[in-house]
Amino acid sequence: MITAPLLRADRGFHAPDFHGEVSGVPAIATDGLTKRYGRETALAGIDLTAPEGGVYLLAGANGAGKSSLLRILLNLIAPTGGTARVLGLDPRRDGPTIRAEVGYVPETHQIGYRWMSVGRLMDHLASYYPRWDQAYADQLARRLEIRPDKKLGTLSKGQARRVQLIAALARRPRLLMLDEPTDGLDPVARDEVMGLVAEHLADTGCTVLVSTHLIYEVERIADHIGVLREGRLLAQLPREDLQRKLRLYRATGPEGWVGPADLTGVMKRASLGREIHWTVWGEERDVAARITDSGGVVRDVAPLTLDDAVVTLMRAPLTGPKDTADQ
Amino acid sequence: MHIAINTTDARPIYVQIMDEVRRALVLGALRTEDPLPSVRQLAGDLRLNPNTVAQAYRELEREGVVYVRRGQGTFVADRPASARDRDLIVREVAARALLDAHRHGLSADDLIAAVRQASDASADTPRAAE
Repeated sequence: MITAPLLRADRGFHAPDFHGEVSGVPAIATDGLTKRYGRETALAGIDLTAPEGGVYLLAGANGAGKSSLLRILLNLIAPTGGTARVLGLDPRRDGPTIRAEVGYVPETHQIGYRWMSVGRLMDHLASYYPRWDQAYADQLARRLEIRPDKKLGTLSKGQARRVQLIAALARRPRLLMLDEPTDGLDPVARDEVMGLVAEHLADTGCTVLVSTHLIYEVERIADHIGVLREGRLLAQLPREDLQRKLRLYRATGPEGWVGPADLTGVMKRASLGREIHWTVWGEERDVAARITDSGGVVRDVAPLTLDDAVVTLMRAPLTGPKDTADQ
Repeated sequence: MHIAINTTDARPIYVQIMDEVRRALVLGALRTEDPLPSVRQLAGDLRLNPNTVAQAYRELEREGVVYVRRGQGTFVADRPASARDRDLIVREVAARALLDAHRHGLSADDLIAAVRQASDASADTPRAAE
């Protein structure tokens, strides 16, 4: 198949609004959150809403500001501006309370205390977190094949990640924040971890905010999607809305047919001989009607996988003074 | 009971779960009073959001296909058998086939003729009893 290059942000293109209604009580809500490092802007006004009991996927390229955002929510770093609420609390004022209520798997694989054994670490956490579930911690350790006598300093990257996951889940938190939770894990462990997260959700109904590059892993679990791009939340909507509104249309038409001139929300266009493929943001009925009205026959309309949908958003042409199409 | 989910399918995941349960009923893999896997088990096994599984079970319950026994789980309901389920499945299979035919530029008549032909050609290969 011959794929046309991505549309550039040419003058006629107006980026659609990729925001949908996020309903329910928010577990996390930020208002105009900004973060600057010197002259670099990491976050440029983020209004994020993650509903309680949901699984919110935070997607974005490397350096898009995902980890900064998570660290602000835990008050591990201070924002430059804006406000945040986590479980109804203000991170700036109630940082320690929030950190006690949130199961956090950080981007880093370092666990500190190199001399300490896994078992000692668990004992330490058990005394620190009131809802610590030791039986569950033991069960997780068995399923993730982590021996309690192992010294933290001798853990491989993947083993350290498993210990961090056990530590985050066994405290039975109301909110899980997972920053690349399966980074460094082998395929079997990655699969196991997603099963554990699903079971944990069924057991506790907790809220999850997960940042990951491996979108297909959370495809069946995530119910809300946020896409960070260049420090802005380009998209935020329920997953169902994303997969309903962003679809791939394949159509054929008479000789020389180039499709409707007035098709809006086109994210990508490609062709195979005389068959034209459009990835379009819009309601299916409207898009299909436009194609049909222009003399084409819609052969197929299909939703994108979550991975493809997010990549499409991350590459969408942006309107604005400078051309920032893809990177 | 094994439930297969396909994330590239146009049907939402909860609908796929419902369709898989109906399929199991039509095939006789699931019968009256059989338990469905728990929400936790199915969500864990298939790496699904438990809310999605719960939604499918709720819809099936609303349709009278299954019922919930407090504290014990979800079971297949006793009801005038699967004529309606079978009907639903036939229509869905037909709709999928038609869509696929259209994708390939074929008409419904082309498809029907081809299905007859293929069915006749395989008449002597063993088929599942209807």
